[in-house]
Amino acid sequence: MAGYAHPEMLVSTDWVAQHLNDPSVRLVESDEDVLLYEVGHVPGAVKVDWHTDLQHPVRRDFVDKAGFEKLCAERGIGNDTTVVFYGDRNNWYATYSLWLFRYYGHDESKLKVMDGGRQKWEAEGRQYTKDAPSNAAATYHAKDPDPSVRAFRDEVLAAVNSGGKNIIDVRSPAEYTGEMLHMANYPQEGAQRGGHVPTAKSIPWSQAANADGTFKSADELKALYEGKGIRPGGSTIAYCRIGERSSHTWFVLHYLLGYPDVKNYDGSWTEWGSLVNAPIEK
Amino acid sequence: MSIDREAYVEDILDHYQSPRHKGKLDPADAKAEGGNPGCGDIVTMYLRVDDGGHVTDVSFEGTGCTISQAGASMLTDMAIGKSLNEVQDMDFESFIDHMGREVVITRARCATLGLGTLKAAADLVMKQRRAAG
Repeated sequence: MAGYAHPEMLVSTDWVAQHLNDPSVRLVESDEDVLLYEVGHVPGAVKVDWHTDLQHPVRRDFVDKAGFEKLCAERGIGNDTTVVFYGDRNNWYATYSLWLFRYYGHDESKLKVMDGGRQKWEAEGRQYTKDAPSNAAATYHAKDPDPSVRAFRDEVLAAVNSGGKNIIDVRSPAEYTGEMLHMANYPQEGAQRGGHVPTAKSIPWSQAANADGTFKSADELKALYEGKGIRPGGSTIAYCRIGERSSHTWFVLHYLLGYPDVKNYDGSWTEWGSLVNAPIEK
Repeated sequence: MSIDREAYVEDILDHYQSPRHKGKLDPADAKAEGGNPGCGDIVTMYLRVDDGGHVTDVSFEGTGCTISQAGASMLTDMAIGKSLNEVQDMDFESFIDHMGREVVITRARCATLGLGTLKAAADLVMKQRRAAG
């Protein structure tokens, strides 16, 4: 973790193993494979399913402030709880859940990601359990949503027109070029048109992760993003198709590389690619 | 979790952790591959069909998410005894209901990967037999 701007945002699997019974810590598992938690999870971890727990029930948005407070309270997460996120697929959905906690103002010093996620935990032969965690309900008071971490379509359009911000498309190259309208197994997350937001640079999110699921080194990450002209001085907006892969990139840029102004455009391509009159490049 | 949802989840986990008819079928009348390695879900379905056009054995191989692999396992039990036409008539939406719509709907393509692949295998057998006259 040497060289990261905020190394304290990552914890090792060793650290997690040593804090399994720490009452001030709550492990949160968020996976792309939605039933993986039930197959087995780190002892004491609670599940946060991005699809069923974090979504507004009616409109396309996240759970509202009251809903977020209820979610945290039910899982024994208080305002002083150190929340450690982990999951499958290089911690892809884990960083999305962390992003939402950050959005609702959870103390950043109490947000962590277990580097390497499930993959590293398993590779090290560490045990899972199917036991439901026993935790008393907590009281949680969320802050109002923080707009400094979230971009909406009008800001993205303004950035396209002004050229004043870095825009990163973190999807696969085939999605970037418009060859694919959606990832193969996600037809419900497609769009009317293929391509990318004009001026967006293609830097697939998975290039920030090692084969073992851990984040690449600071030097490697700097080379990856600065090599494509994404420098820390400006404002950056990352997007994918629904904002989950781009939350991984948001985490990398904001916490590991210390870029101060980074937003996740969660509307992403499912919005932009179906938006009437939105400019598109191929 | 509602009782129904819990039951669906338990059934899926059972099939994921103790898959039925997993492995290569040899000899097989047809083999079809489905899925996308890039997304991590792959299923290969094997079919054995009698002279009357009824499925006598089915197996699958695969890797991937709990829902895709459990779905393939569930399917093997359902397919044995069916005619090839009945396999082709198996409905994706009904299969999603069988697995538990509330549980799998966000991963509908994963849930039906095995069924789509099985239909492809059935189609291969039907074409072979038509060609053979």
